[in-house]
Amino acid sequence: MIQTIQTQMRFLLTVSLCFISLIVQSQAPIYQALLLDSELTDNANAIVRLDQMDIQINSVKEMTYTVRQVVTVLNKLGDKHARTSASYDKEKKIKNIELFVYDKVGKEITHIKKKDFQDVSIADGFSLYLDDRILRYRYTPVQYPYTIDFTYEVETSDTGVFPSWYFLSNYLVSVEKSRYNISYSDATLKPVVKEYNLSDINISKTEETGRLSYSADNIPAIKQESLSPEFNTINPHLALRLPNFYYKGHEASVNDWKDLGFWIDNNLLKGRGQLSEATINKAKDMVSGVADDLEKARIIYKYVQDNTRYVSVQIGIGGFQPISAIEVDRVKYGDCKGLSNYTKALLEAVGVTAYYTVIQAGNTKVDFDDDFADLIQGNHVILAIPYNGQYYWIDCTSQTHPFGFVGDFTDDRKALVITPNGGEIVRTVAYLNEQNYQKTTADYSISPDGNIKGVVHILTKGIQYDARFFLEKETKDDIVKHYKGYWDNINNLHLKKYIFQNDRETVEFLETVDFEAANYASISGDRILFSVNAFNKNTFVPSRYRNRKQALEISRGFHDDDEFSVSLPKGYTIEAIPDAKILETEFGYYKISVDYDIATNKIQYKRNFFLKQGVYTKEKYALYRTFRKGVASADNAQIVLVKSNL
Amino acid sequence: MKHPFIQCLAIYLLVVNPILAQEIKFGKVSKEELTQESYPLDPSASAAVLYRMHSISFEYIQSLGFRMITKVHERVKIYRQDGFKYATVSESLYKDGSDRETVNGLKAYTYNLENGAIKDFKLEKSGEFKTELNKYYDEEKFTMPNIKEGSVIEYQYQINSPFYWSMDQIVLQYDIPIKYEEVSLAVPEYFIFKPTSKGYLPLHPKYSASSGSINLVNKQQSREGINRTSIRTSNINYIINTTVFEMTGVPALQEEPYVNAMSNYRSALNYELQSVKFPNAVRKSFTTTWEKVVENIYRSDGFGDQLDNAKYFKDDLALIIEGKTGEAERMKAIFDHVQQQMSWNGLLGFTTDKGVKTAYKEKSGNTADINLMLIAMLREAGLDANPVLISTRDHGVPMFPTTKGFNYVVGAVNMEGETVFLDASNKFTKPNLLPTRALNWYGKLIKEDGTFSTVSVMPEKSSKKDIVCTVNIDDSGAVNGKLRTGYTDYNAYLFRNNYIDVTEESYLEKLESRHNGMEISTYNLKNIEEVGKPIIENYEFVVEDQVSVVGNKMYFSPLLHQTVTENPFKLEERSYPIDFSFPWEEKYMMSIMIPKGYRIESLPADVNLVLPNDGGNFLYKIVQQGNMLQLMVNLKMNQAIIPATDYQLIKELYKKVVEKETEKVVLTKSTSNGDQIGTTGGR
Repeated sequence: MIQTIQTQMRFLLTVSLCFISLIVQSQAPIYQALLLDSELTDNANAIVRLDQMDIQINSVKEMTYTVRQVVTVLNKLGDKHARTSASYDKEKKIKNIELFVYDKVGKEITHIKKKDFQDVSIADGFSLYLDDRILRYRYTPVQYPYTIDFTYEVETSDTGVFPSWYFLSNYLVSVEKSRYNISYSDATLKPVVKEYNLSDINISKTEETGRLSYSADNIPAIKQESLSPEFNTINPHLALRLPNFYYKGHEASVNDWKDLGFWIDNNLLKGRGQLSEATINKAKDMVSGVADDLEKARIIYKYVQDNTRYVSVQIGIGGFQPISAIEVDRVKYGDCKGLSNYTKALLEAVGVTAYYTVIQAGNTKVDFDDDFADLIQGNHVILAIPYNGQYYWIDCTSQTHPFGFVGDFTDDRKALVITPNGGEIVRTVAYLNEQNYQKTTADYSISPDGNIKGVVHILTKGIQYDARFFLEKETKDDIVKHYKGYWDNINNLHLKKYIFQNDRETVEFLETVDFEAANYASISGDRILFSVNAFNKNTFVPSRYRNRKQALEISRGFHDDDEFSVSLPKGYTIEAIPDAKILETEFGYYKISVDYDIATNKIQYKRNFFLKQGVYTKEKYALYRTFRKGVASADNAQIVLVKSNL
Repeated sequence: MKHPFIQCLAIYLLVVNPILAQEIKFGKVSKEELTQESYPLDPSASAAVLYRMHSISFEYIQSLGFRMITKVHERVKIYRQDGFKYATVSESLYKDGSDRETVNGLKAYTYNLENGAIKDFKLEKSGEFKTELNKYYDEEKFTMPNIKEGSVIEYQYQINSPFYWSMDQIVLQYDIPIKYEEVSLAVPEYFIFKPTSKGYLPLHPKYSASSGSINLVNKQQSREGINRTSIRTSNINYIINTTVFEMTGVPALQEEPYVNAMSNYRSALNYELQSVKFPNAVRKSFTTTWEKVVENIYRSDGFGDQLDNAKYFKDDLALIIEGKTGEAERMKAIFDHVQQQMSWNGLLGFTTDKGVKTAYKEKSGNTADINLMLIAMLREAGLDANPVLISTRDHGVPMFPTTKGFNYVVGAVNMEGETVFLDASNKFTKPNLLPTRALNWYGKLIKEDGTFSTVSVMPEKSSKKDIVCTVNIDDSGAVNGKLRTGYTDYNAYLFRNNYIDVTEESYLEKLESRHNGMEISTYNLKNIEEVGKPIIENYEFVVEDQVSVVGNKMYFSPLLHQTVTENPFKLEERSYPIDFSFPWEEKYMMSIMIPKGYRIESLPADVNLVLPNDGGNFLYKIVQQGNMLQLMVNLKMNQAIIPATDYQLIKELYKKVVEKETEKVVLTKSTSNGDQIGTTGGR
């Protein structure tokens, strides 16, 4: 297509130079950005004019693909969506790469050839070592809109990690044409395809012998909304895999997770779990006299936590293969794979079974797909210890988490457990709603000049424990900073003393804070005004959407239970005190009561805030916002004291 | 304004230093070091350097010439888990074609105490990692084996560099404390380096001299034609000048908020080559004085020469200034042209990246491409325009003559004795409004004849934010109102730079959620495109949670959702200046309609707090006028940078601001005949 237009142009140019301006005008430029369909410009910072990948599978060990990405950038926010880089590694070679930049009328501004691309390492600033490199070009936009036409060709011997296809690349980007073509030389090389979220877009699919194509046109841009499901759960995309593939020197034949589990075990883990005789004996000594397997596992995990450290080293079979247990034993560091494999070996040495488990880690819960076994899923490895018919999970990269507690990094999601019987998809432990519990009790007094002082206890469990127990290891400066941030509603906070009790058995963390703060209450003439809820104010109000498009997702529930007792200064009477309040909704409830006891001159404040995890329709969003507004406003409620005229 | 952290090496020449060298033997780690549980001078340190030796010397290799050798020897104690990161060491190595820096002779051990005995663990090859970062840099890293709380690690290596004329900054202070360090430089008499230093730590250099020699081997073919070669050797002796900095108890560099770049405050040495004089050769001079530095820069490729070329823009310029007779008019026209045409490619520099001509054609370039072209055009149009060398805020303040001290250039036009600064590399600057990155004390203005003068680039004019707000309160305590904000100068500049990165919708979402549930209805912006003019922002809003209605009373802070409720200065003490970038003033005029049937029970008292030396003030004034409450609040900082010594003053001022602004107005409901309904009291 390009070829013919260019030839035509050349031909026209030679015919008559006099008509050149006329011809250029009548010959519509290919990627002009003056007239664009409003369906594509709405909510868009960039338009993908063409996103095309042509994959040719020649054999199990040979695959080439050509990528062409033409992106019109409409404004500064769209710059990051213009693709200008391609990655490569030892097995994956970039054959050709070039890039054109066009201005808004479609006139060429610049042409970048392979030699003009920068060749850099994907140094992520975190990993000690990464194999991957990229070729990239940095373009400085001189006007908007502009269009970047980027093409490259890749040849690889890896067919085990198959390029997936996303019809949308990101929020606020629309797509004019998306083309995905795969051809394969024989039926054994036919990929298995799984389609996700394709129902709402205009897609055509053609399938014939040796060839499979998807094409989609005019996909409008999506806006990101807070508290909405993760992008890839709404983004239309395809996952592909070859049942018979080759990966970094290993052949495989995989139909399901069971097979893939076997393959990982046989090719990536086999022989990696050996330990020296001395280490085995040392491990045995550590658990001598202990009969219970779980108790043994606890001891071994503690040993690993106390004696190793996490270092990211992405070497070895594309970052899939662990460093050997012997090596980790020697240097006492490793990445998630190395440390998990090492711990597994130590556990085996003392007769405890543990399974290597691949998982997608992160605060957002992402499941492995039950019926689509490929190597792309997952970014982390933990261990599953079977005991009395259930699994106990441990993350060997953490030096601090209690045994069996994985926190919000790997909780409540489907993961691949590699057992001697192959792979198996299992959901990890969930910390739900009321399990994420926090109890705050405070006893404080307020002085006539508005100063407060007292003691606060905070007990946390579940995910709330995960958000707090790190304090135990912090320096004094950081602890002070933490409280000044956590209680940012209390100015002039001064910590007199703090004590932490971390119960790793029950997974409970108790903070005791002795504090004082000047001018907490504001003084207006004869009055003292202060917000009674000093220690657990939740003033978050979700953003307002005039037209909410996406579902509401509350990703984690919790239960906060607060009891504060406030001693009032002598010589004052209460002028105003908040009413008791109950907000009962489908998302959870909020209840407060405020009572004054004349005998002790104290106020008793009780608060319960319970939020349920869940996904709700977009129509519910406004109701949820109203609920949170109610909470925010009640948490701000003031008590007014006035000097008595006695 | 006196510079708060100016230091002069010369002062330290007079100091007699009592510290004796404490050289230690590699591997002789003591039990004491291993059992120590925390660093005595700073128990919160997660790790500490127990010993550091960093020595730079020069070596002559006949086929290669001089090479610079940096020897590194460090012993580090790891106290806690969060200090484990110091068990990984990384060096960036520069390369240019086939010339490259290399790391040699790496030897490293971890020492642990096991059952009362010291055990060592050698760093093996598998713990070393080399990465080609890009065309100019490689990276070498290693990570130590067997690290646990209490470990001591020790490593030594040397870096060989062919780039002897360019010495990297020598850092004297780490993010962890250093118990003892010795930094030395042994420089052959042929090289004269200019030392500069920065940071708060006192330095006590010691000087000495020794001798070195070069062995030259000459092969000579005998003339007789028979295959005979005679070898002649000769010896050249030279003097080596050594400077040693010994320091004990170096504190960790502590991160503090509201500081532009912590690196500005890190103690470090810089050595810049001033001249080279080899035997039997003429002295080649680089930089010595400010005059020399400026002259060198002026003469360097990509600077002075770029100001002379006028051909490439001649035709365009004629059109731009056609009919414009006044100097100011012409300056504005040329500035607007360059600002509109050129896009900044994100690179800093006082020398051009591609050259002004190419940059003009491609419509993009670095700061020098853009601003030197601007200066050339202004000169061509007959204006007295000159470049001003600047060091950006993240780059530190140059205190001694060195070309490395600068990394930026802007233009200055002398107009009837007034200096007007110009920088066209940002789309939202205007004459006399430089980008905030350039606001870093002083610049060097270079005239056409190569002479220079030092000029302050700090803005003196206050940037304003004027808020006028009218509100009504209904019976339930909900507030609806109109708000108009005017942003001038830097406030407008920052607004525009932030606003360009968001859509109006998401800007409003952020604005609404910053004020916990405020809802904005009509919204409009004036002059967002017209850079010379102040931005006017207008919107109508509803806030529901600002007024507490209890019984027959209403309580509210009269600034409502704009009340400052938090003191940004939380730390008890501070060692670095507070940097506001520019003087500023924030002024609120609130008109609050008193709801029908209510009367004022109490109002906060007026206050006017003034900082010493006209540093700024806080004014709060509230009055009733008929059925309206009129409030004026004004917070003003007259200085862009406030020295750390005044920290308590500023912290105290902000404390007062919070106290005053959170004070409440109390209204009481009256009956129609004006009688008060009985108060309810506590329930």
